[in-house]
Amino acid sequence: MAKSALFLILALASLPASAQRAQAELACTPSNTDFAYHCVVRLSRGGQPLPGADVSVGADMPSMPMAHNVRPVKAKPGKAPGEYQARLDLEMLGEWAVKLRLRGPVNDQLILHYDFDEKGARPVIRSGRLPRK
Amino acid sequence: MDDYVTGVLTNIGLFSFLALSAYLLLIAGEMSFGQQAFFGVGAYSGGILTAIYGLPLPVAALVAMLLGSLCAFLVGLPTLRLRGLYFAMATLAAAEMARILFELFRFQRQIGGELVGPDGTQGFRGIRWVFERGVEPAGYLALVWGLLLIALVVFLLMERSRLGATLRAIGEDPDLARSCGISVERFKLGVAAAAGALAALGGVLFAHHNTYIEPRNFDIMLGVHSLAYALIGGLGTAFGPLLGVMVDLGVLEGSRVFQGYRMIAFGGLVAILLIFRPRGLLDEKVVHWLRARFS
Repeated sequence: MAKSALFLILALASLPASAQRAQAELACTPSNTDFAYHCVVRLSRGGQPLPGADVSVGADMPSMPMAHNVRPVKAKPGKAPGEYQARLDLEMLGEWAVKLRLRGPVNDQLILHYDFDEKGARPVIRSGRLPRK
Repeated sequence: MDDYVTGVLTNIGLFSFLALSAYLLLIAGEMSFGQQAFFGVGAYSGGILTAIYGLPLPVAALVAMLLGSLCAFLVGLPTLRLRGLYFAMATLAAAEMARILFELFRFQRQIGGELVGPDGTQGFRGIRWVFERGVEPAGYLALVWGLLLIALVVFLLMERSRLGATLRAIGEDPDLARSCGISVERFKLGVAAAAGALAALGGVLFAHHNTYIEPRNFDIMLGVHSLAYALIGGLGTAFGPLLGVMVDLGVLEGSRVFQGYRMIAFGGLVAILLIFRPRGLLDEKVVHWLRARFS
């Protein structure tokens, strides 16, 4: 048992890490429902659009990740390659950490910080810098 | 099982480590509002070790637990001289100091053409060990619950041992325990260190589940919740905090119908519960009754 566990740990540790990581951008517009947004996720890798991914979109409030979170929804492929569309039903306006779970050509999770208001969503700026994606 | 259910179950497992950490101090008679600091120490140190130094997660978890334990010991040295509310306030102050230190902490390195590491208030991205190894959410859930099961077994064995009886004696009446020759201060420092290690383990697993952490994740809200888990679930057995997390997250998830008002509904429910069950759902009386009935 102990040997098997050790083997599993070493096998997991020796697996190679993926070379190129996916990048994401988010564009959201408010819907007719309060706190609900139509969002378009643009995925790329190495500067090229990343189509064919299985994307689910969720969100947490950074200061209350357990208390205020959004049930993840599957994104549908959008109009252009690498684009995915999803509707986000938030609980309130303010800063949200949008969580993108990617499967398919890439297995990863990306966190994007956006400020949601009546006009849409903007990347969060803290200390005069944009958080990296 | 879909991603949502897996995520909720994983969160229940992760926060159970923090709840058990608060519970351990509660049965020794101390109410800490600062266990989130050691959760944060575990998250940051574990993340740095896997994302920057490329260590395997199990090694990083062990080192993070040691560090969490050491930090809890160092915080315990001055604070455990205080009693009751003063100790609670001191732990809260220590946790806030830790959170501010996380906000000032910058330690980034170039990994694969990308800057990785804690970047103050910008947080710490790219803790991808789990994703890079292709561990699926169900596999990670099994890992979290497997480790939690081990922790629970250790707790149950401890509670049935002389050590458990000593801890409860210290919690009930430290002066009486001292008069029986028990070194109360030494025991409490040991408990604080063990609770710190447990919280740090939860933190490492949390960081690798989320892939991203930031100082705000470890603020007072988390400390209040960790105490609430233990107090709602009950102080009669180590299953109490686990039940507390399930009730807490279960009620939160189940009250989505209230939308933005659900924290108000949730707070009301917790208040009502604590009025009728001040030592939680699984308090000593219930546990004694269950043991008598089923043994």
